[in-house]
Amino acid sequence: MVKTLGWVAAAALAAGLVMAFGVAPREVTQGNVQRIMYVHVPLILASYVAFVVLALASLVYLIRRDAGADRLAHASGEVGVMFVGLGIATGSIWGKPTWGAWWTWDARLTSVAILFVMYLGYLLLRGTIDDPERAARYCAVLGIVAALDIPLVHFSVYWWRTLHQPPSLMKPGGFTGSASILWPLLINLLAFVVLYAYFVARRVRLLRAEAEAAA
Amino acid sequence: MPDNWGFVAAAYGLTAAVLLIYWRRLAKKERELERLTAGRSRSAERSRDRLTAEQSRERLPAEQSRERLTAERGPERLTAERSREPSRTGHPRPDPDSRPPLQQ
Repeated sequence: MVKTLGWVAAAALAAGLVMAFGVAPREVTQGNVQRIMYVHVPLILASYVAFVVLALASLVYLIRRDAGADRLAHASGEVGVMFVGLGIATGSIWGKPTWGAWWTWDARLTSVAILFVMYLGYLLLRGTIDDPERAARYCAVLGIVAALDIPLVHFSVYWWRTLHQPPSLMKPGGFTGSASILWPLLINLLAFVVLYAYFVARRVRLLRAEAEAAA
Repeated sequence: MPDNWGFVAAAYGLTAAVLLIYWRRLAKKERELERLTAGRSRSAERSRDRLTAEQSRERLPAEQSRERLTAERGPERLTAERSREPSRTGHPRPDPDSRPPLQQ
């Protein structure tokens, strides 16, 4: 099952690359550098998925004290941090030629940086507490609290005067661009969500095996 | 605006590199865990074998002395010493009256 998910993710990523470089047109104002969007946006949206799953799994853990829910939250947090970190990095690489700066303290960038730091802290907290039950409980609380930053990140471009452009996909009225931009974006989004599921499934399996070996 | 292919390559290259490193890290951790589990089961087998060998070594002197005794006195003598008094009732065990009381 996990292996199949891996092959599906690899195929979807390959299809996404073909769509981003073969099907999607060259953007009129930005030129080909706009093709970074096909990796930047799916990474950030997949990280939202990761943190929402983390928050829900944490809630389940706090209610039922289910170790499986804690393992899912842990795995999801790890993959989510990697994805949001990559999203920030690719955004920064895209920002340099278009804005003329690697980084600016814009509302979207700042809120997403706070999200990244909070979930990085989540992973560090897991590593610093020796008692696994206590670590799971504290991290579940932090995971839920940190998830409150997701709507702040998403709506920051509407609430504050910002340099970052408004959302491309998740906005009122839906996507307004051409289908030749929408499809590559959707296929890449699907690829990164499947890749997220693959990494999480593998990490959960590893965490379970580690717990069994330690017992 | 220039195409800035270098930035595009950097963004895609960085993403591919980080994802590949994470994937390889997962695979490495899985291999290490498998090796650890296999090593534990091997060491459990070894300790079980060692225990069996020690138990058989402990039994060995007793068996040797019994063999030596059999060789010196003959098998009949040894059997006579170990046999019980014949029962009056024909029961293979001695009569209840003749049995010593149970001791704590």
